[in-house]
Amino acid sequence: MRLFSLLCTVTGTVLGVGLVAGQAAALTVAVSWSNFQEERWKTDEAAMKAKLEELGAEYISADAASSPAKQLTDVESLIARGADAIIILAQDSDAIGPAVQRAVDEGIPVVGYDRLIEIPDAFYITFDNKEVGRMQARAVFEQAPEGNYVFIKGSSADPNADFLFSGSIEVLQDAIDAGTIKNVGEAYTDGWLPANAQRNMEQFLTANDNEVDAVVAANDGTAGGVVAALSAQGLDGSVPVSGQDGDHAALNRVALGTQTVSVWKDARDLGAKAAEIAVELANGTAMGDVEGAVSFSGGPKGVAMTSFFLKPVPITQDKLSVVIDAGWVDRAVVCQGVPAGSLDVCN
Amino acid sequence: MATTAPARGAVGRFLDATEIDTRMLGMIAAVVIIWLGFHVASGGVFLTPRNLWNLSVQTASIAVMSTGMVLVIVTRNIDLSVGSVLGFTGMMMGVMQAEWLPALLGFDHPATWVIALTFGIGVGVAIGALHGWVIAYLGVPAFIVTLGGLLAWRGAAWWVTSGRTVAPMDGDFRLIGGGTAGSIGATWSWVVAALACAAILWGIVAGRARRRRWGFPLRPVWAEGFLATIGCGAVLGAVALFNAYPWPRGVTRRWAEANGIDIPEGGLFIAHGIAVPVLLAIAAAVIMTFIARNTRFGRYVFAIGGNPEAADLAGINTRWVRMKIFMLMGGLTALGAAISTARLNAATNSQGTLDELYVIAAAVIGGTSLSGGVGTIAGAVLGAVVMQSLQSGMVLMGLDTPLQNIVVGMVLVMAVWLDTVYRQRAG
Amino acid sequence: MDTAPVTPLVEMRNISIAFGGIHAVEDVSVDLRPGEVVGLLGHNGAGKSTLIKILSGAYQRDAGEIYLGGEKAAIDNPRDAKAYGIETIYQTLALADNVDAAANLFLGRELLTPWGTLDDAAMEAACREVMGRLNANFKRFKEPVAALSGGQRQSVAIARAIHFDARVLIMDEPTAALGPQETAQVADLIKQLKAQGIGIFLISHDIHDVFDLSDRVSVMKNGRLVGTARTEDVTKDEVLGMIILGKCPPGAVPGNGATA
Repeated sequence: MRLFSLLCTVTGTVLGVGLVAGQAAALTVAVSWSNFQEERWKTDEAAMKAKLEELGAEYISADAASSPAKQLTDVESLIARGADAIIILAQDSDAIGPAVQRAVDEGIPVVGYDRLIEIPDAFYITFDNKEVGRMQARAVFEQAPEGNYVFIKGSSADPNADFLFSGSIEVLQDAIDAGTIKNVGEAYTDGWLPANAQRNMEQFLTANDNEVDAVVAANDGTAGGVVAALSAQGLDGSVPVSGQDGDHAALNRVALGTQTVSVWKDARDLGAKAAEIAVELANGTAMGDVEGAVSFSGGPKGVAMTSFFLKPVPITQDKLSVVIDAGWVDRAVVCQGVPAGSLDVCN
Repeated sequence: MATTAPARGAVGRFLDATEIDTRMLGMIAAVVIIWLGFHVASGGVFLTPRNLWNLSVQTASIAVMSTGMVLVIVTRNIDLSVGSVLGFTGMMMGVMQAEWLPALLGFDHPATWVIALTFGIGVGVAIGALHGWVIAYLGVPAFIVTLGGLLAWRGAAWWVTSGRTVAPMDGDFRLIGGGTAGSIGATWSWVVAALACAAILWGIVAGRARRRRWGFPLRPVWAEGFLATIGCGAVLGAVALFNAYPWPRGVTRRWAEANGIDIPEGGLFIAHGIAVPVLLAIAAAVIMTFIARNTRFGRYVFAIGGNPEAADLAGINTRWVRMKIFMLMGGLTALGAAISTARLNAATNSQGTLDELYVIAAAVIGGTSLSGGVGTIAGAVLGAVVMQSLQSGMVLMGLDTPLQNIVVGMVLVMAVWLDTVYRQRAG
Repeated sequence: MDTAPVTPLVEMRNISIAFGGIHAVEDVSVDLRPGEVVGLLGHNGAGKSTLIKILSGAYQRDAGEIYLGGEKAAIDNPRDAKAYGIETIYQTLALADNVDAAANLFLGRELLTPWGTLDDAAMEAACREVMGRLNANFKRFKEPVAALSGGQRQSVAIARAIHFDARVLIMDEPTAALGPQETAQVADLIKQLKAQGIGIFLISHDIHDVFDLSDRVSVMKNGRLVGTARTEDVTKDEVLGMIILGKCPPGAVPGNGATA
């Protein structure tokens, strides 16, 4: 009985505090993570928490540890714990279907976070991946307007890899049709592993006798493998290479000039925006009424989704101050090994 | 040796006299066929000094680890944690040289690479000791312990930097990964070849002298001569090949500028020679072969694999032997991690994902029997070469990853099937 | 056979061992003198193999003591037993099938070169020498023992036991897998070893295998000792009665497992 009365007191206090805090009282926003094995989700989580606190909502979460099956039960338990809105970073965009349906049936709004869940009842928020691909191609194209291009794509199991590639090709299509740019090799990178990207790049260099003028690499990890392969041939710095994620090592390469661009998706913006939208939806706002929402049907199945796209930022050598000023990375990390006086940011 | 048909009899006599392992011969033939096939299919790119040099570097890390996996599998164990341990030890070495040591010694201190490498190998051996102790002394099956390791060490690799990629590596450490600087050049390559050749000749002469002293039957002199010629020829041929691959123009130009040398017309020819990681892999294979064949430990490993109970009853401390095998495996994994980390010039927490399967496959394709007691180091290294040839060759042909995986999977199954057939025939 | 005052080579006193609550051997005492052959008889599961594995170090006893030449001996593993000169030929032969005869002969006691590496040539020479005495037809020194016949494998196991100056030899069902000719060879070998003063325990479930070779027999039943008798004091039928019924005849010294 003591436990019960304690619970009552605690609940009462929470409710009381919530009431004092304002209208969004006692809202609970749940987040189902796919896995915390990746560095960036911690950043997203921190941003979400901060935003929710600001809005007076409570944050609860579960980590599926890369298991689609565990994520199903995670979502169910989050519903049971009284979530008013659920943000889902899907481990598997199809297998998550039943869980989303369960939430929708309970009248709980679902926000598909970063990875597409093709169910019209779910809201979709992400960075514009196709735009990332376009930005990568644009930056590389600026440096090498013609010549032999190699495409180091992402993992074949990840739909984002194809979004990125199609965005890049979109930018380069005219030049390819005109014959000024030649695709001399493209390969998926199994598991996004840099070592695989390195091996593929080595083989493309061998097959083309080093006559490669530009490399469109899908992310910073694969770009790292590509640059390692290029440097073995003394080509690092003279062949433009793209990437994305704003990895610290990649930003250092951008400063050194061995990588042309790292398209940066500020995870903090994404996290904060998702939290904001989740709270809005929990308060009864219709999906279509969320400010900036657009209809998107570019997924593999072509389902029309209500979506919000954040714009990424291409970080080239002259834009390095953006990431440093945002507190994403220390100046010392970016500038390690950069000759004094060669780069304004590093002085 | 009764000669029924003259031709068969001649081949049989030849094989008997030279004591050549027909299994190994079959594997070498398979490699040659694969290489020729890719050479044709890739339009003449595969069998070039450059591609074969690349192939040798790409194989090094897996080859190093497969030499240890042979001993693990021979004793009827398995190590599924290799890839994750590679990720963890690579991460530890990366952090040590990119973050911890620079704080103490400053960047590019000459001792950095030694400390990082020693530390990494120490960590690898310690992890192996932990696995081995649980397996040998607590009696938990190796499959389970290393399956746990596969999960745990991947997670640990993440924890070291919360998933952040560590780069770049120390300049000296990078030499372990190969590249133009990480190759020993033409002169030293010939020195290595000469030493290897001398070792082969000495081995044959000393072996013959020893057999004569004990009054054992001797091989015919022509057979000894044949073996010496083939052995030396292979070594010299390989070195000539590595020396035929020049530094790329870009690197040569930078080097010439840095050293104030004018590039003559027609370019400057500086040979790569043997890459450091390849040298390490060869050293690992030679030392491991020596351990397997010429030490008590190696003898016990095979005896345990053949009949664990008999080994126990013969008074062998089988637990300690098992634990040592896993320690060795851990150390070799760390060496493999050093090679792949140095090669990539970065330590990432996903490094080595699925490597355990490639290492096991290399050992198995190389004739190591999962039922224990049988396996050779040289076979495992050849197995690693086969796998890497398939992958690199298919990229040259423009085949994409999913198709590559299908082919590698089928080759693995086929290799083991052929081996089973061979063993049944050989009785 | 006036060997009574001689200190026994081996004395196992009040040995007990249990596996998970089952008493495989309970309070059994046996002894063996130099140059003597003692047959250890009993049905399968009577506990004779277990008793002898305690002596060879394969099992650790729960209670009891072992004396060798009157001195208390500490035998906790096969290495200890071998150090005391106790060699065992197991029913399974306990050979590592994937290595050759010389490697099996020296397993656990390899000869080393001055550099600490295996001296295979010396081991092969020693193997050729000892195998030449045991089985002159043996030629397959380079092949794994898996490729050998049953008799040849038996020779390797015997060679391993006698090559290292054994004082005590334990033979567990030594002739079970052999043909008549090979059985006769083993019988000759036993006589030869006995003449050298080696004490031998012969273990069998079949009285005919061992009765004529043994100086004494000890019979076990259900983990206990029925009794011990000199073979000249009892008949085969009486020993059979000991094995089957646990009945101790007048010519035998009864043990703790004798009925009435």
